[in-house]
Amino acid sequence: MIEARGLSKRYGDLVAVEDVTFSVQPGEIVGFLGPNGAGKTTTMRMLTGFLPPTDGAASIDGHDIFSDPLAARRAIGYLPESPPVYPEMSVEDYLAYVSKLKDVPRRSRREAVDRALERCGLADVRRRVIGALSKGYRQRVGLAQAIVHDPPVMILDEPTVGLDPIQIREIRTLIGDLASVRDGKARTVILSTHILPEVEAICRRVIIMSRGRKALDAPLEELRKTGSLEEVFARTTAREPAALEEAQA
Amino acid sequence: MRHVGAIAGRELRSLFVSPVAYAVLTLFAVLAGFFFLSGILQFQEYVLRLQAFQAMEQLQELNLNDHVVAPFLHVMSVVLLFLIPGITMGLFTAEKANGTQELLLTSPITIWELVLGKFLAAAAFVAILVVLLAVFPAILFLYGDPEIGKTAAGLLGLLLVGLVYAAIGSFASSVTQSQLVAFFLAFVLLLVLWMLGFLADLGAAGGAVSNDMVGDLLRWLSTAAHFESMVMGLVDTKDLAYFVVMAAGFLVLTKAAVESVRWR
Ligand SMILES: Nc1ncnc2c1ncn2[C@@H]1O[C@H](COP(=O)(O)OP(=O)(O)OP(=O)(O)O)[C@@H](O)[C@H]1O
Ligand SMILES: [Mg+2]
Repeated sequence: MIEARGLSKRYGDLVAVEDVTFSVQPGEIVGFLGPNGAGKTTTMRMLTGFLPPTDGAASIDGHDIFSDPLAARRAIGYLPESPPVYPEMSVEDYLAYVSKLKDVPRRSRREAVDRALERCGLADVRRRVIGALSKGYRQRVGLAQAIVHDPPVMILDEPTVGLDPIQIREIRTLIGDLASVRDGKARTVILSTHILPEVEAICRRVIIMSRGRKALDAPLEELRKTGSLEEVFARTTAREPAALEEAQA
Repeated sequence: MRHVGAIAGRELRSLFVSPVAYAVLTLFAVLAGFFFLSGILQFQEYVLRLQAFQAMEQLQELNLNDHVVAPFLHVMSVVLLFLIPGITMGLFTAEKANGTQELLLTSPITIWELVLGKFLAAAAFVAILVVLLAVFPAILFLYGDPEIGKTAAGLLGLLLVGLVYAAIGSFASSVTQSQLVAFFLAFVLLLVLWMLGFLADLGAAGGAVSNDMVGDLLRWLSTAAHFESMVMGLVDTKDLAYFVVMAAGFLVLTKAAVESVRWR
């Protein structure tokens, strides 16, 4: 579903992401972890075609992001780090607009918007202007925007930022549902987060980034054998390589 | 190209919930009213003076088109120099500020669809301005008999000038993050374009532009001459081609600028 092959991104001398390779299968929910500045957002931006990689290639749902960009983008639901909303639009107008951009057929647009509103708990504020919503609600609008076209691949950059505890639980359940099989099709989710319990709650696999490189890629179950996720995270992203070796010994 | 309409529609609606659109409309209407009225008053005074002097020959030559409509359209084309940048300044800069650029560039739309959608919205606004403006010469038909063809050609000229300005404004908006910069960049570009003809004449007089070809090129590039001939009632394909080439050229530049965001 998601194939990243040797993705690299350099900003002048700064190496933001270096040689990142991984693939995500249908039905998988992958947690994308790493300290601030590790390159999570940059990697996701390359996968969605927003940023061109300096090196490497990627494909989404079998479509190469370079040679077949429109098909690749059609297959993606993307929640950027900050929700890409127009403050002057109402929630439902905004989602209707996004559904047009994402090529939802005219007949099913209403239904698609209603479903996204329902799933993200936005039904009560559908006619409100986005700029007048609280941060958490704006975040939900961002999420609704990412799923309105029911894409096979969802790339979510910190989806639960700014939500209250109840919301977080609901959104986690939602993300779990998103990846489940519907209409005989399995969906894929990759989400970045700083909340480790969140990963334990919804993901079955984690990828940990550290200073632009992929430092770890393993099923959660396997990691649990060697300690808590927090320990693993600290060990893998430790500053000095010596510390890493020490921890491994 | 099926996304062009959606993009243009959203842009227009957000334009009309912003105070900028109403500020521009109001300013435009007020200025148009003022210049039109003062044009009419001047015309009347001129007529009275000619009558007092019994200058029959000159009286015969007087007509509403050349002495009221044409100067009016000219001054309004100057007003557009600073009003259209106000309309176009937010076209792309607002997307950058909202972070919605990330939505657009990761959606299955082409950059051409995006650029044309934006331009279409600005073009529709310009069309509204010109329709609004057409009301004033229409009043003349109640009191006098200006030539319909000449008046229509002039209005069409103003519309085309406005479309070229909108394309230039789109370009200015695509190369910066700031609305203010987009406004001034567009304004300066338009001002230079408008003055190119004078610059060529100045250069020729001062000997700076010794090459005739350069002078001719500058005069051709300037909107003034092409607009002038349309106001005179001449709808020449050469002038139409000029407007198309200018608008298309700046849209190509806009597309390149939007695309380059990805390569930064
Ligand atoms: N436009 C840019 N120009 C220069 N450097 C950039 C740019 N965008 C990101 N970087 C750098 O790339 C590196 C990776 O940034 P990125 O945003 O991918 O990190 P992240 O893992 O998402 O961090 P966070 O957890 O804080 O969201 C950082 O060092 C950042 O400073
Ligand atoms: Mg990030």
